[in-house]
Amino acid sequence: MEAGVLIVIPARNEAATIGAVVGKLRQAGPFAILVVNDCSTDHTAARAAEAGAVMLSPVLPLGAWGAIQTGLRYAEKRGFDCVVTLDADGQHESRFVPDLLEKIRSGEADVVIGAYPERGSPARRLAWAFFRKLTGFEFADLTSGFRAYNRRAIELLSDEEATLLDYQDVGVLLLLRQAGLRIVEVPVSMQLRANGISRVFCSWWAVFRYLLETGVLCLAHWGGRKRAST
Amino acid sequence: MISYQTTSAVLGLLVAISILLLVRSDHLHSRHAVWWLVVAAASLVFGFFPRVIDWLGEALGVAYPPVLALVGGIAVLLVKAVLQDLENTRQERQIRRLAQRLAIYEADEAPPESK
Repeated sequence: MEAGVLIVIPARNEAATIGAVVGKLRQAGPFAILVVNDCSTDHTAARAAEAGAVMLSPVLPLGAWGAIQTGLRYAEKRGFDCVVTLDADGQHESRFVPDLLEKIRSGEADVVIGAYPERGSPARRLAWAFFRKLTGFEFADLTSGFRAYNRRAIELLSDEEATLLDYQDVGVLLLLRQAGLRIVEVPVSMQLRANGISRVFCSWWAVFRYLLETGVLCLAHWGGRKRAST
Repeated sequence: MISYQTTSAVLGLLVAISILLLVRSDHLHSRHAVWWLVVAAASLVFGFFPRVIDWLGEALGVAYPPVLALVGGIAVLLVKAVLQDLENTRQERQIRRLAQRLAIYEADEAPPESK
């Protein structure tokens, strides 16, 4: 059985950047690197494989969180102790991976969020403020996709209950909090997107839909907040 | 002019026959077929005996009994719509899990290169 750290990178049409992202991670440490190719129509799979990543290619488009959960389930099955997720567009820097892992290894946290609140556009800041109010979370960067999960979190998030989530953000944090897992943030810096724009924050309409859907999710978990705070 | 009873009987019969044909030809999974057979039976009863609605309405204190049929119909559709969304959600979950699992198995099958 393998053990150790698995880096999970969900990727859809990121051929321009995925090779460099995987290359840098290989230099950063002895990590197993898994790219979940979410039905890309470009050469993402070829670039990632050339760079030396293990590839998973779901036959149906699963979305960002669906792709990440595929990686988590892979990690659960293969017995990895820890998963770090980061984006394929190069915005999350591999040099901060050890910072995230440190909090897990020291037993300080079950889940670590790499936070970079400075990147917030007006739409993103609005979303953060809204969800902080709604959920009672005090994290600076609720929507960061740069996270580390320990074994307990991997097992929890591999479950069916997490399958219908769409984004790796508030919904995931709510599930973790409900299960009593400890979440901490560490400050990191991020590269502005070299290529493409955020899938969630690409237009005001998309932001509205995202706020509405995630807002409903928060309300569905309302009881969890009370339980956690007592 | 034909009587309203003929009209309603013909309508009820058409609905019931359509449903029965669909069930018979296996176009409806048995789980759904049960629901629709009940609908077919109801449309036959109310089609052939539209007065049943008047009696029911009176018994339930509805001032204008035909409204009861409409409200009842809408309620049935509403319940069906919710059940359908529940079913869609269940299927969506299963499809996602299946796609994930298939992807993991495919990786297991592939030769262990580039590790």
